[in-house]
Amino acid sequence: MGGGFSQWLRSNSELYLLVDAQRRVAARYGVPAPAGPRDLRERFWRQVFAPGYRLLPWSVRRRAIAALPGSHRRDWPPAPPPVSAREPAV
Amino acid sequence: MRIVVIGGGAAGIGAAGAAKGADPSAEVVVYTTDTDVAYSPCGIPFVHGKEIDSFERLFLATKQQYVETGIDVRYETAVEAIDPSARTVTVAGEGEVSYDRLVIGAGWEYADPGVPGADLDGIYEVKYIRRAMEWDQRLDSCEAAVIVEAGPVAMEMVSALLHRDIKVTVVDPAPWPMADVIDPDIVEPVRQAWSDGGVDMQWGNRVTAFEGDGALSRVATEAGPVEADLAIIGTHKVANNPLAAAAGLKLGATGGLIVDSRMQTSDPHIYAAGDCTEIPHGVTNVPLQGLSGSHAYAQGKTAGANAAGGTRHYRPVYVPWGMLAGEWMIGGVSFGETLATALGMKHVVGKAQGITRARYYPGVKPITVKLLAEPETLRLIGAQMVGGEGIKERADFLAMAVRVGITAEELATMENVYSPAIGALNEPISVAAQNLLAGLAGSQ
Repeated sequence: MGGGFSQWLRSNSELYLLVDAQRRVAARYGVPAPAGPRDLRERFWRQVFAPGYRLLPWSVRRRAIAALPGSHRRDWPPAPPPVSAREPAV
Repeated sequence: MRIVVIGGGAAGIGAAGAAKGADPSAEVVVYTTDTDVAYSPCGIPFVHGKEIDSFERLFLATKQQYVETGIDVRYETAVEAIDPSARTVTVAGEGEVSYDRLVIGAGWEYADPGVPGADLDGIYEVKYIRRAMEWDQRLDSCEAAVIVEAGPVAMEMVSALLHRDIKVTVVDPAPWPMADVIDPDIVEPVRQAWSDGGVDMQWGNRVTAFEGDGALSRVATEAGPVEADLAIIGTHKVANNPLAAAAGLKLGATGGLIVDSRMQTSDPHIYAAGDCTEIPHGVTNVPLQGLSGSHAYAQGKTAGANAAGGTRHYRPVYVPWGMLAGEWMIGGVSFGETLATALGMKHVVGKAQGITRARYYPGVKPITVKLLAEPETLRLIGAQMVGGEGIKERADFLAMAVRVGITAEELATMENVYSPAIGALNEPISVAAQNLLAGLAGSQ
């Protein structure tokens, strides 16, 4: 996957998933929502991509995110186990 | 060993100091296009707002102190190219310079608003201290300013401009301030305070052009023109990576340099740190670019120590953050409802309103805490807060709580300091967790 495409996908998906989320959260709190889509391009991302993303199970979304090139695919320390799963310190 | 550092911001200076600390015999050279290093750009809005009386107070060290520690800082000197195969950089005025290890701390730029007229006089990107000093004098004669998107620095500039009696108009396509980070209920007190202070807020509107004859006189927007002799750019941070990309170093989907926990890039002799990199988020594993100065400095120290032969590891981030917005402090950890909803993460929410000191103690302030947890495990995954004080400490604590897997049940029964002058009987974090659990119980 080329850097140009992955950057394009990340920036657009991030922007329009956020806009979709702002619409939902705005409805929850009774505050003004983002304005509607301005053109065909925005209509695609907001009315096709965002609902499609929401329909995917989290495991599929995780795999899709993991497939993009990025630092997450290099070596990083794993998250520590929950404190409730640890032995007492002394 | 010669270690070359590109960039004199928090990442670059952190790297230079750590490299020298790890290997005092190393030759450490820092190239920066700036006139200065080791100052706090984050403090600039507060000098403009007159909370801080002088730009000199933003400097953390003098140029002489770097000379004395053996770090060779070359000011106003651009690195024009990197050749990883030859292990050289091309430096303006110096030609090719070899390195054993290179650390890139090239930082960030404001995203280009992408509208005509961006070269007019009167358009201000708050970033560099000498430019800020020039602008500070000009602010005395400014009458009206447009904030072009309410990013964090721009939000601080709203307060600064109000303190300077400059009329402020915020133009932002988002529906509320910093809507990519903050939830509307948390930022509402700030929005209300701005409204009370006379700020003209045009949410859902976009700047379409900067207009004027040499100097800015009007900002065109989709909703009509706004008269202004100053425009503050508040767009989001983008990684400053043209050099790295031209050198063939691998970039991630954020545009940040791909690094591992040692801050090593795709080239084993090149390290990177700060806003030009991307770091995985500890909860989602999604890489993030454009974090805070404290992140950049810590990453720089890791990169510098490793460049000098060390074995330091940086960790995935949980992003505690906080800032002053007028009379209010806002902050959080990881993500709020908006970002969790965008990612499609299931979450449950608990919220509490409390106070920061005993109710009778002078200076007591309100505070609201909102916690997000995974529905199944009840592990804390995020938080957001707004209040009059005590945001930073709670954000730091909650970031560690997310990192080690603390649950809402554990927070609901946490112990807390009670002392009238510094803490109330009920800790709002604990009450928010109790409310989260009560909400779950009520829904079953």
